[in-house]
Amino acid sequence: MMKTHEKPVQKIVHAPAQSLAVRSAALVSRGLRDLARDSNWLVKKVFAGRASHLAISGTGQVCGITSETSKGAAHLVLYDIESTAPELALAVPKQSHACPADSPARFAWSPTSRYMAAAWEGWQLTIHLFDMHGKAFLGEFGEYKNFPKFLVWSETGKYFGVTAPAGKKVALWLWKAARHGMPISGASMSRVGAPHGIEPQSFGEGFAEEGAFLGYGRCAFSPDETSLATVAEIQGEWADDLIVIFDVPTLRKRDLLQVQGHITDLTWAPDNQQIIYCAAGQAYRLPLARMEFETLPFGAELCACHPHLPLCVCFSAWLKNSAKGRLFLVDLNDLAILDEYPAEGVVDLRWNLDGSKAYAITQDGLAYIYDPPLI
Amino acid sequence: MAPNAADLNTVKPEEQELARKREELTALETELAERELRSANLRAELSAFECRYLHFVGSCYSELDEWKAQLAERLAKEQPDNVRARQAARDARVRADESKSVAGNKAAEEPRTFEATGELKRLYRDVAKRIHPDLTADRGDRAKRQQLMMEANEAYGRGDEAKLAKILTGYECSPEAVTGDGPGAELVRVIRRTSQVRGRLSEIEAEMQELLRSDLYQLKSRVQEARENGRDVLKEMIAKVEEQIAQAKSRLIDKRGTHPLDKGA
Repeated sequence: MMKTHEKPVQKIVHAPAQSLAVRSAALVSRGLRDLARDSNWLVKKVFAGRASHLAISGTGQVCGITSETSKGAAHLVLYDIESTAPELALAVPKQSHACPADSPARFAWSPTSRYMAAAWEGWQLTIHLFDMHGKAFLGEFGEYKNFPKFLVWSETGKYFGVTAPAGKKVALWLWKAARHGMPISGASMSRVGAPHGIEPQSFGEGFAEEGAFLGYGRCAFSPDETSLATVAEIQGEWADDLIVIFDVPTLRKRDLLQVQGHITDLTWAPDNQQIIYCAAGQAYRLPLARMEFETLPFGAELCACHPHLPLCVCFSAWLKNSAKGRLFLVDLNDLAILDEYPAEGVVDLRWNLDGSKAYAITQDGLAYIYDPPLI
Repeated sequence: MAPNAADLNTVKPEEQELARKREELTALETELAERELRSANLRAELSAFECRYLHFVGSCYSELDEWKAQLAERLAKEQPDNVRARQAARDARVRADESKSVAGNKAAEEPRTFEATGELKRLYRDVAKRIHPDLTADRGDRAKRQQLMMEANEAYGRGDEAKLAKILTGYECSPEAVTGDGPGAELVRVIRRTSQVRGRLSEIEAEMQELLRSDLYQLKSRVQEARENGRDVLKEMIAKVEEQIAQAKSRLIDKRGTHPLDKGA
């Protein structure tokens, strides 16, 4: 009779993987990347199609609204400039109204990119907060009537600001972040309306009159979190906006300056002593000690100061004599322009967390990565 | 020699099946040895390239990162209230230490390139056929074979023919390897071995694909391709990094200190 040599069936246990040492992986990929480098700028296609309201995080993630997938319905989506991770849709439970991709949306990343605050016409009229580590919706706060103009976190994430078209009274709100649980919740700690002496134009009253205060727009906390600079938007094609500096957290107005034209971006230098801003395609510097603007020798629509070096990365959509756009670095010590690179259609700019790289993105998903070997 | 009719009558069906299975297993064992050889060859080539890359280019990156860390530390010292600058200095120091630990200290001797001789390949094939861990189901024998196979892989990577020959002759067949208990039991063992060999073949394929997709392989291919066109890419990389090291050094010496980038770089 046949007898099998009955041994317990053994599960195959293979020898440890004979893979190569992974410790050298960082130096190897660095070499591979440097090999392909012919400038300090790298260009990369991050997504196909188009997305609007794009906002870059300090870790190179990008959120925006797109209708390229998901049966054509607009939705919030997350891309990654650095990795090849597939795009990720972010949803708010039971709140998906059908609305076009170009409907208003505002995003703000927390300094470490852990949280993302968002407002979108497709949702309830509140600010929505996402935990980006868990890719989960955390909750909502800050009910509004007029769609927000700008959302912003302070340098360490201690404060969160929201601007909106001027209502009857309030146009700027400030929250203090909690250390545990949901970082922003409940009512704002400070709020403020139109600057003294400027008549607000009530939102919803039809066309605003020339020269009326439309509300606060872009804003930026100083790196030391003691000041908030915001743009007071003034109605009219040829009207001039104002920059208003508030104390944080009281929102007491400290300074006000009328600029030339409409401001498209503003950023604080890391010394807390000057603001770089762009208005009507021109770049300016505003030293706070004098509160007089200085026209810089270059044009720009977007600007972002380095977190700790006297450097500013700028985008200009139009370069004299060429009608071509460019990205470039400016040394704020001597205003020399460095590392220019041709670029078109940039909608957001940001330095990464440690300031070793800068990112720029276009609505068509083209990312420009400024990655100098020595910074 | 073909069996005659009388023999055929005496050969039991399980023995016929066993013969077929053994034939199949022999072919698979040959294929396994060949695939293991290819895999070992690729690993050895990549490992040798990695050593050369770290020796020549990695050591330059390590030096550059050290200068960058010193620059960042000085900037942080100049701006004691700037949290970001302090954090950047800490990060730069961590990166410099990491690069140093990976690249190591540059050895005086240049790492060798890997090139397998015909004899080395033949010995490895024989070892793989004889002692491959997937050719046994016995736990004890398997552990022994795994250890020997690891030694064989290391010896192959070093191009050590003598060691491979020693492994081959020194291996004692385990009792499990001896056939016994009749054709039925042997048939079961052969089927199990066949299944193990097939499993290992799939694994080798996956491992090879992973290696071929790796950055290290991409870099090696680029270097090799350039060499065929008369370019020494590693030398070019070293020159680039050395230029950056010179810039970092001069910036560190620069008394202004806050000059962030070299003009016209």
